[in-house]
Amino acid sequence: MSELNKLKTEIKESVIHEQKDECETAESHNSCMMNRREFMLFGSAAIVSASTISLSLLPGGAHAGEAKAQVAGYPRLKIAKLSELKDNKVVDFQYPDKKKGSQCTLVKMGVEAGGGIGDKKDIVAFSTLCTHQGGPLMGTYQATDEHRTLGPCPLHLSLYDLRRHGIVASGQAYQSIPQVLLEVDGDDIYAVGMMGLLFGRHKNLLDA
Amino acid sequence: MSKDNSIYTPQDSSPLPPKDAEVITTACDYCIVACGYKAYRWPVGKDGGPKAADNAFGVDFPTNLLQAWVAPTQHNTVMHNGKKHNIVVIPDKDATVINKGGDSSIRGGLLAQKLYNPDTATADRLQKPLVRVNGELQPTSWEDALDIAAAVAKHVIKKHGANAYSAKQYSYQFVENTYALSKFFKRHINTAAYTFHDTPSDVTSTPGFRDAGYDNFGPSYDDWANADTLMVCGTDPYETKTILFTQYLMPALAKGQKVIMLNPRETAGVAHTKKYGGLHLQIFPGTDTLVVGAITRVILENGWEDKKWVEKWVNNKWGSSSGFGQGTRNTPWQWRSTWGKFQTKGFEDYKKWLLSQDEYKAENAAKVAGIDAADIKKAAEWMAKPKDGKHPKTSIGIEKGFYWSNNTGNTNAISSLATTVGAGGRPGQMVGRFGGHQRGGTGGGSYPRAKSPEKVPGRRKRALDTDRWLVSGHTRLAHVVGTTWIQSMTGTGGLHKKFHELVVANPNQVKSKNKDDIIKTLKARADSGGMVVINHDIYLRDPIGAKFADIVFPAATWGEEDFIRANGERRLRLYQKLADAPGEAKPDWWIIGQMATRMGFDGFDWKNSNEVAEESSRFSRGNRKAYHMIKIAAHIEGKTLHEKLREYGTEGIQGPTTYNYKTGKLYGCKRLHNTEMTQEKCKDRGQNQGANMANKKMTHFNSQTGRINIQKHPWGLYSDIWEFVSPKDDELWHTNGRINEIWQTGFDDRQRRSYIKQRWPYQFVEIHPEDAKKRGIESGDKVLVYSDRVPVHKDTIHGVGGKDFQFSELKKKGHIELIKGAFEAVALVTTVIKQGVLFSDALNTEQPSNAVQARVVDNISGNYNYKLGSAKIKKIGESEYKNEFKHMSFVPRNIVTKT
Repeated sequence: MSELNKLKTEIKESVIHEQKDECETAESHNSCMMNRREFMLFGSAAIVSASTISLSLLPGGAHAGEAKAQVAGYPRLKIAKLSELKDNKVVDFQYPDKKKGSQCTLVKMGVEAGGGIGDKKDIVAFSTLCTHQGGPLMGTYQATDEHRTLGPCPLHLSLYDLRRHGIVASGQAYQSIPQVLLEVDGDDIYAVGMMGLLFGRHKNLLDA
Repeated sequence: MSKDNSIYTPQDSSPLPPKDAEVITTACDYCIVACGYKAYRWPVGKDGGPKAADNAFGVDFPTNLLQAWVAPTQHNTVMHNGKKHNIVVIPDKDATVINKGGDSSIRGGLLAQKLYNPDTATADRLQKPLVRVNGELQPTSWEDALDIAAAVAKHVIKKHGANAYSAKQYSYQFVENTYALSKFFKRHINTAAYTFHDTPSDVTSTPGFRDAGYDNFGPSYDDWANADTLMVCGTDPYETKTILFTQYLMPALAKGQKVIMLNPRETAGVAHTKKYGGLHLQIFPGTDTLVVGAITRVILENGWEDKKWVEKWVNNKWGSSSGFGQGTRNTPWQWRSTWGKFQTKGFEDYKKWLLSQDEYKAENAAKVAGIDAADIKKAAEWMAKPKDGKHPKTSIGIEKGFYWSNNTGNTNAISSLATTVGAGGRPGQMVGRFGGHQRGGTGGGSYPRAKSPEKVPGRRKRALDTDRWLVSGHTRLAHVVGTTWIQSMTGTGGLHKKFHELVVANPNQVKSKNKDDIIKTLKARADSGGMVVINHDIYLRDPIGAKFADIVFPAATWGEEDFIRANGERRLRLYQKLADAPGEAKPDWWIIGQMATRMGFDGFDWKNSNEVAEESSRFSRGNRKAYHMIKIAAHIEGKTLHEKLREYGTEGIQGPTTYNYKTGKLYGCKRLHNTEMTQEKCKDRGQNQGANMANKKMTHFNSQTGRINIQKHPWGLYSDIWEFVSPKDDELWHTNGRINEIWQTGFDDRQRRSYIKQRWPYQFVEIHPEDAKKRGIESGDKVLVYSDRVPVHKDTIHGVGGKDFQFSELKKKGHIELIKGAFEAVALVTTVIKQGVLFSDALNTEQPSNAVQARVVDNISGNYNYKLGSAKIKKIGESEYKNEFKHMSFVPRNIVTKT
């Protein structure tokens, strides 16, 4: 537990430091992205209030839409409009580029989720390539009672829990389904980063 | 990866092996299926690139569906020959057997993380021998640790007899180790207080199969796929032998295979099966015998049995009583059932018996099991009703949820159903276990049954129940290899208490670091009626190592030595060394060899793992994974056994193996009891030549005649304990088992892989929404699962009368004590579990759910019925996982895609 606290402190300090120095600039680097990812998972209320980066990303964040930090090397792409989203209707898009393996989906789930944005913190986006063997998950989004899932994958039935950062609910995947980090600016929703490696890639940001 | 291992921090890149990376074949360390894997190893700083020409996979990145890919969790850094290397372990994309095309489970997919790396959660691997001084385990030299162990062991045997030396070892952890260990414990120590990780006594896991003549692992994986109807009992293969499901059952289902699942849970594989029209017989725990018997009864009532098969392959009155030389009185069957409880005079006699037992009427069985009688009839129809004069090809697979609910009754009943529908000896028509652990046992000695002080009625000795032996205070030295012992057994609390009393609470505790003083103290402890504990493991396990062991030996494991093991279709592979073992850790064959030599035993001075394998091979002759002929072939070719098996890569070869000396060709064996195998084919395979051993099991059944014994399965032998355990008042049934994401006690994954830790941070219990509502329980609540009436059999007794081991008799005579048992869990409110039943992880060592399971062995076989329990459940608060989104998941496992 002391390790966790130490790490939280480290993240807190580095986030405060780096997001000012680097995350808001075009030359942001991967360590910043790392902090963003860790921040999202480890973040506590105390850290949130001390931070000025995209608070809307954080579970329980109180100041949605307040900041607009760019995320380490990832493009900031406008992918949808808040006003056009309907509960449980998916919006497909590509991220972080238009190359192989970039298919993603955004959905307003109507229930709060880890990493959710919007007033209800219910808007999330994920890759739709299964992180087991690359099976297509397009069209497999489902709402069942209070649960929101992607899958089961048609290949080997991996099922992901979209309220919990895409963790494997059942199945064989080696990691969570990659979550797209989102930001809101007025009515616009931006994709700004990615948690987890996309299937088929050795790195998310391919060399040109 | 983050340093804290309770949350996995997703990475967005992973290194690729360069073109010239070393490629080493191995197989998965976990479930019975044992998928083929390739490890790519290269020195740090020389990564490959995304172009096909620049990486070891020869593919362009980004790759396509099903192509090679490296998830960040599949990479690690290890020491190899003392130098730091990158290693990537991914399923073999070239595999043509088992995990064809490189499929994998979530367990095996993360194998790279098993390898020791001080920067990960494997940092606490045991690296030096430890000895307990002043209550603390302290590092010592191999020399001293082994001297102490050997001196105390010799003393205990001399002063208290071999049976005071109780040995409990894994049955599966590679043939080299199991051979060396069992040679030491059985041939040399010769103790009757010997058993394996999953049973209190050294007895067969499936008495009904054994007595009918069915091998546990006769079928090949293709047989499961090629059946028209497949019955799956007591498991969801998707959860626990994943690739068997995804590579064999899923394609079969898509082609119209009819699948019947018999168990209390609707997990992902069951839900998927139902989506394809499959039948789920969602029964209450322990009612399998009734349902299976009822299915057989419906078949017989309709005359759907496979009459030709029965005529040819089922023992009649004369066959049932005949024997090879010694007569049936000396077969294990008769040892278990002298009073004709199971024996029949042939098929008609069985039929007559079954039709006379009212509990096997479909309506009656359905009522007790909590299912619809129409489903029993439907199952019978699918399994046996001829279509256009032809019987469907039916196969039956069982696993622990089934054979550990009513060990003898269920395995007898299923054998008789299999026999009735003609399953057992033809392609697509087989019966067997799906399997749990891989098959890595080779016996180095035979169990000294005559020395067992435990006797069942008649003049029949039974393998000693090591738990009861210990609880009765007879064990002076407990030698525990690679198992937690305590949490793995039922009635856990009582066993824990007794270990504490005999070890920790004994006044003879080591206070000095002096070797002679330590030996003296430990001898004094044994002499005073206490117990000394020796433990080998890869991690310090709690409590067996952390609290009770006096001496701990650090073991080397998978990937740290070359080892041989077989999977659930008897497929033998070489599991190669991938990295240096941590510190001074050594394989168990070496540890036991050193201890044996110090005790004055000869034949333990092996220099390497291959030497052990080669010595063991002749003891494999005649068994289902016989690998002796691989050695013969290897030696003729000037190779070692390990070298020869290495050539077989991830494909391996299926045992039993045969060798044609004339053609120089080695043969594997696709299925056992292969009644379609001709004499000519056997001859081609060299079965009549040299050291080949033509065993009955290859073309016939494992019975006294080579034909099947059809057996009765009287409910009355079991109904008293079933009724005692069945829920009273506010109780619910409680059963437990494995789940997909966790292998066994979670020593590799739940405890050390941050991602799996995040998924399953705590013991869980599934409860049906109706049951939860009544008790005010919601998903994420912390609950207590408890019972004040866990029955435990406490005495080692001699049975005299016919019913002496029957539960109601034991109870009447005061041998049953009712103890308290409890564990905490996070509630998962879900329709996955049948209403009226609770389900938890069987092997969570922190919150052992076996605590509420009955510790009374099956009165015929001596196995525990681990899956039989009942308990109350109450909310004790909210878990930290209830209102956050980082850990766990409350999503039910039975969600399917809508079509």
